[in-house]
Amino acid sequence: MRSRLTFRGTLASMAARALMKGLLGLRPSRAVMVGYSVGGHHYSTAASIKPPPPQIDDSNVTDKILSLPLEKPDFFRVSELVSLKELFDARVHLGHKKGCRHRLMEPYLYGCRLDHDIIDLDQTVEHLQLALNFTAHIAYRGGIILFVSRNRQFCHLVENTAKDCGEYAHTRYWQGGLLTNGNIQYGPGVRLPDLIVFLSTLNSVFQQHVGIRDAAKMNIPSIGVVDSNCNPSLLTYPVPGNDDTPVAMELYCRLFKMTIKRAKDKRKQMELLQGLCSTGPDRL
Amino acid sequence: MAGSRLERFGTVFSRVRNLMHSGVIKLPEKPIWYDVYEAFPPKRVPLHVKPHTRLCTKKRETVPEVFYKEDNIRAKFYEHYGMGPLPFDLSKSNFVSTCQRFVDKYTEIKSRNAFEDAAVFEETGKALLTEGMVLRGRGARSVSAESRDPVLELKLTDMLAERQSISASSEEKMGCTMHTQTP
Repeated sequence: MRSRLTFRGTLASMAARALMKGLLGLRPSRAVMVGYSVGGHHYSTAASIKPPPPQIDDSNVTDKILSLPLEKPDFFRVSELVSLKELFDARVHLGHKKGCRHRLMEPYLYGCRLDHDIIDLDQTVEHLQLALNFTAHIAYRGGIILFVSRNRQFCHLVENTAKDCGEYAHTRYWQGGLLTNGNIQYGPGVRLPDLIVFLSTLNSVFQQHVGIRDAAKMNIPSIGVVDSNCNPSLLTYPVPGNDDTPVAMELYCRLFKMTIKRAKDKRKQMELLQGLCSTGPDRL
Repeated sequence: MAGSRLERFGTVFSRVRNLMHSGVIKLPEKPIWYDVYEAFPPKRVPLHVKPHTRLCTKKRETVPEVFYKEDNIRAKFYEHYGMGPLPFDLSKSNFVSTCQRFVDKYTEIKSRNAFEDAAVFEETGKALLTEGMVLRGRGARSVSAESRDPVLELKLTDMLAERQSISASSEEKMGCTMHTQTP
């Protein structure tokens, strides 16, 4: 089985996930998926020693499962989860003072009310929908999602969110070689995250989190909640919004958790459907 | 797996795409997110932006200030009456503060009759008083008709002068008796 990147504080979820992956690996459709893994070791399971025709059907089936969601603009209906009123009530539009403003955040600001920056919620809604849609697709394809936040007030909340949706979180000190030196720190053939979600892009000393630059280095897409004092340039899908209010953070955590769960349930549903449709005996 | 670690050149997507075109990354090794990014690209291409080291001399377009027409009324209210009697309760989203009530009343009166601003201001104060809202003015100005306690009017100097006069008169009396007693 592929080795997992261990993150402090989520060993229970990691073990559960490894177990789940192991169980899935025994199923015939997954055996072909192993061949498509990113940099993992290829182990041959008993299920892979099957006669050729069902394998070709399997690859077609998995291709169909993977390509179907990309055809629709909102396959997972994430636009229902986000509403402008909800964002306003959660005080997502409140930015920092004018003096703390980052010049690259100026396009995302609605205005400045008595030196307080107000974030444009129309833009936030669009960006949030894009980000949630991307997360859903990654979770649907069985990608690893890593939640990062160095804000100590919400570290417990973020870790619980990750545990609830079966993904990973890293809310402690970020060691320099976590991603860039993963092979030596965690052993050879480590599988790195396929998406990193920054619920706060600043670290404890109000500088940009090292993880953003590292994710760009390792060609990993990143989603990040950027406040008016953050730099959104390197993030693949920035979401302009408040990252200091508890209500706002709870909202983001809830939204990400719901999308990931939705996507994973959809995946199970699709696999069952395809399994029923295809004409092979004893598929499961 | 091969990769490119140049985060300042191009985007994550462009680098992976070019690596695939050149054959460094084979099709089975394609990242999971590649197809998803292709289908749903972000609004802005995530290129690295160099930080400005030199100060910009030309004027940059700044974020617009947010002001409303009611702000004039609000400014006059705070100048006249200071902070209202009721504290702001921000936990309720439909909370109406004293200032907001004043502003609503002002606009209502203004729309009904086209008086001058000062006249409308007085009218609003009186209208709110009839509704039961007491506005304590800053300085001598006050809309409420509460009379001051007469005890507060007493001054300390007057009290001391009174005391002294009482003690002087008693001393005189004492002095007379003393004189008579000494042989």
